[in-house]
Amino acid sequence: MTNLTTIPSAGATTAEPPAPAKETGRRVNPLGGVAHLALFLWALATVGPLIWVALASFKTNEEIFLDEPFGLPQSWAFKNFADAWSEAHIGQYFLNSVFVVLLSTAGTMLLGSMAAYVLARYRFPGNRFIYYLFVSGLAFPTFMALAPLFGIAQAMNLLDSFFGLIVIYIAYSLSFTVFFLVAFFRTLPHEIEEAATVDGAGHVRRFFQVMLPMAKSGLVSIAIFNIVGQWNQYLLPVVIMQSEDKYVLTQGIANISVSAGYQAEWGQLFAALTLSILPMIIVYAVFQRQIQAGLTSGAVK
Amino acid sequence: MTRAARPSFCRAGGTPLLTVEEELKMHAVDSRPTPADTPQAPPPRHVSRVRNRSQRDSRVAWLLSLPTLLILIGMLGYPLYRMIVLSFQNMRLKELFSGATPPWAGVDQYTKALTDGVFWGVVGRTAAFTVVSVTLSVLAGLGIALLMRRVHAKVRIFMMIAMMFVWALPQLVAAQSFRWLTDSDFGVLNYVLTQLGFDYATHSWFVNPWEGWAVITTLVVWAGIPFLAISLSAGLTQVPKELLEAATVDGASAWQALRNITLPILKPLLMIVTTLSVIWNFGLFTQNWALRDGHPEPVYQTLATFSYTQAFGRSSYSYGSAISVITVLLMLGVMVFYIRQMFKIGEVD
Repeated sequence: MTNLTTIPSAGATTAEPPAPAKETGRRVNPLGGVAHLALFLWALATVGPLIWVALASFKTNEEIFLDEPFGLPQSWAFKNFADAWSEAHIGQYFLNSVFVVLLSTAGTMLLGSMAAYVLARYRFPGNRFIYYLFVSGLAFPTFMALAPLFGIAQAMNLLDSFFGLIVIYIAYSLSFTVFFLVAFFRTLPHEIEEAATVDGAGHVRRFFQVMLPMAKSGLVSIAIFNIVGQWNQYLLPVVIMQSEDKYVLTQGIANISVSAGYQAEWGQLFAALTLSILPMIIVYAVFQRQIQAGLTSGAVK
Repeated sequence: MTRAARPSFCRAGGTPLLTVEEELKMHAVDSRPTPADTPQAPPPRHVSRVRNRSQRDSRVAWLLSLPTLLILIGMLGYPLYRMIVLSFQNMRLKELFSGATPPWAGVDQYTKALTDGVFWGVVGRTAAFTVVSVTLSVLAGLGIALLMRRVHAKVRIFMMIAMMFVWALPQLVAAQSFRWLTDSDFGVLNYVLTQLGFDYATHSWFVNPWEGWAVITTLVVWAGIPFLAISLSAGLTQVPKELLEAATVDGASAWQALRNITLPILKPLLMIVTTLSVIWNFGLFTQNWALRDGHPEPVYQTLATFSYTQAFGRSSYSYGSAISVITVLLMLGVMVFYIRQMFKIGEVD
């Protein structure tokens, strides 16, 4: 089986039209230079606004409005950060966000990968139907859901509860997760799973011990997409988390920016923003190897 | 290319359905010199066992997707149902406060939308914005992903971290930052342009709709590129180096290698991220909403903001719902196209 499937495909892809052999250097250096320049410009466009935010987080209101935007702050004190953390309760909201996102991402990945696995790998009546049902959730505008969602949460006693927010985060991440993972599981080779079947592994074992390890890099990437998405979620927590001590980070940030209008502590706002971005950077730094590891490396090649 | 070999496999019912005997049998068949015999049906005595197995598989499949199904039906399906019901009623402030059931309006809201020139203007604008912004961001994302393969690993990591910054920025915050950057009096953009010798001291970027949309598109593309570049560059690691090297040895140009090797391998992923971008950008809300300070002028309305304004700004909840339903249907149209492509790819694979 393996031979039959791999040999023709290898033949088909390597049979490139035999162009006349030109002498080209294997590593074209000028292109590398252009690449660096283009990436540098893009890096500037990416990082520019963020440096501005980071610098502003050290400045006073007057400095932010009147001085040069990219000028250095007069002092590098962490006052804004300390104020934001304790006075504006960003510390509390930060921990709330971490707690909710950890659990909801874990839940999303578990449920999403189970569903995506069977949808991608099993033929059963209703397969397509469920798939369409799942992914059509992607097209649903969140703001239209807010009013009915409030009603549901109230009826099920989920208002102001972390559990409720976690369930709702999971619900609103599953469509994306299933959509991505189904396509991903379909690209994984079948041979190893077959071998496991032959060796007598059951469904659960095949899923947890064969498929998940094979899919690791893809799962990590999608988990990170979900972490970022849920960390930045704003509309859903506004509906569910009503009492201030249960706010998540985005609510806290919005709170600073609206609370006092022109009296707002802009430095605190930017400090809070900087704080909110840091965990994402850390998550990425920790997992970048897996994200880069490729989507099907290892397994069967 | 693998069409000849796969179908026999698939007909046996996805992969996991092969019994040990069949597996052995298939290997035996494979080793025979005539592979054309492969797609034969298994001998009759296996049939009942296969059916039992497939029933059990079906149970397992439903069982594993059940939690997802329940959560989605409860938290997404029900609100969707309410939205659809609402779109066939006529709910105004009166019903909202009294809690009375709004009168049934049939397809009135839909006729109202479909015969309204303003609505079609919004549809056209949203579609045009989607095409332009998705094209720009996918091309740029792909370009950056390809460039990142060519640079040193350290530069790559730096780029990744920089992009994580942008990606990790909440949409609302990014939009607010852009509002500041393009502010006519205090904006950095006008400041920089003036420093460079152009007269942009108190230039307002939203008087001319083309300029305004250019700002909105820049924001959306800028914020959208990191997701595209990061997933595509993960996808690029799937392209076997040996293939590219072989092609170079055979004299293929960089362009030929890209067209004939890289892009076909990247295609499934490219399809996914493009479809997602279309869905996200078609639903544009936060960016034009925040940049226009919560009151987008008619020329800055997209389907999402239009629906929201009708529903909550003018208290025509039912009309807003009808517009949302139409928006969802339009997006589903795009997704059906994607899903058909995906099943085609899946069957060849």
